[in-house]
Amino acid sequence: MIETDALVIGAGPVGLFQVFELGLLGIHAQVVDALPHAGGQCVELYADKPIYDVPGLPVCSGRELVERLQQQIRPFAPGLHLGQEVSALQALPDGRWQAETAAGKGFVAKTVFIAAGVGAFQPKRLRLEGAEPLEGRQIHHHPDTLAASGQRVLVLGGEEAAVAAAVALADAGEAASVTLLHRRDVFKAPATMLAHLLALRDAGRVQVEVGQPLALRLTDGRLQGLDILDLSAAHRAVAADQLLVRLGLSPRLGPLADWGLALERKLVVVDTARFETSLPGVYAVGDINHYAGKRKLLVSGFHEATLAAFAAAERVFPGQPVHLQYTTTSPKLHERLGVAAPAHD
Amino acid sequence: MTHVVTESCIRCKYTDCVDVCPVDCFREGPNFLTIDPDECIDCAVCIPECPVNAIMPEEDVPGDQVHMIQLNADLAKKWPSITKRKPALPDADEWKDKTGKLPELIK
Repeated sequence: MIETDALVIGAGPVGLFQVFELGLLGIHAQVVDALPHAGGQCVELYADKPIYDVPGLPVCSGRELVERLQQQIRPFAPGLHLGQEVSALQALPDGRWQAETAAGKGFVAKTVFIAAGVGAFQPKRLRLEGAEPLEGRQIHHHPDTLAASGQRVLVLGGEEAAVAAAVALADAGEAASVTLLHRRDVFKAPATMLAHLLALRDAGRVQVEVGQPLALRLTDGRLQGLDILDLSAAHRAVAADQLLVRLGLSPRLGPLADWGLALERKLVVVDTARFETSLPGVYAVGDINHYAGKRKLLVSGFHEATLAAFAAAERVFPGQPVHLQYTTTSPKLHERLGVAAPAHD
Repeated sequence: MTHVVTESCIRCKYTDCVDVCPVDCFREGPNFLTIDPDECIDCAVCIPECPVNAIMPEEDVPGDQVHMIQLNADLAKKWPSITKRKPALPDADEWKDKTGKLPELIK
């Protein structure tokens, strides 16, 4: 059990900036994110796309913005818990909050910041009839759970995660066969990886199929392969004992819908002075919140995180005044940031 | 949580919307586009792209179009993904201002 003044749920741009604003006020934070890396939508959806509306940064990519934010919060050394989804949040009698991740990690926090964006990014599932009961046995979303030895493995997807998995399986040489299936004959992956894939295909170690999955082929509940619609609009069967579904990630609101928060259109309702939710000490910032006039923009999220931090400081340091200080001139802030005070004449 | 393509898209299919979708949630049929409600994240950036204002949040779909909510979900399951803009249907401009186009929908 980790005791903390602040628990931030979501390591996207707003969650990271929340850590910064808390840090300036002397509040140390723990951060949890479902993805194995920080960045949220900025990395999952906009990694290489240019962003033009961050003040003072005429242009930067989603990935670059996240790198800069990570650099900005480094002085505050937050606890980072990546690849974990917060599954439960409960009030404690003393007014603090107890949170638990699906992996069983526990937190007791004086304040909680929901910076969950559009939800936790989860692997897109194969939505064919009969697929769900086979998940974990013959249908997998991560190479780690797949025992490929002697199996005919079919990898689904056209992006780097799928290509990398097919290449790795072929290189390992344990599978009876490796097939990569994508709905188009264009794969999005680094050029060297694509060259490797083509070399493996030409050597007969990977089959590349193009088509749309239509149905699972099942015999007595066991997966035998997939029916696909190929590019010439013909139905065909592709044999497989194991499916590795690498269709990318998609955000899901997930368990926070059950935490008792007041919601509107599946967004968390907050007030615009404190960005506090209907639960005292629980704040919501960024794309996940809702209030009159809300605009889902980075700058809105940064503003919300700033005011939420000030509101939380009253709770973390009860009875103590919370002063506004400028990073330009405040010796206390310089100390927290670990920077030298500017020289005076 | 989703956005919905309403009847205005039928027989037009301008496809301006698909380029801006951050999660590639558009699906393409012969003369209509649909949004996969399981993928849409309600970011709303597609709304202003549509030249015929066919896209709206589920909550704002008018009474005479509510059947399109379920239709989007059903068709999204069987139609392939479209992620790049392409030319509109040849007679799109003739159909863009027509209403009651549901009988024209090719499923």
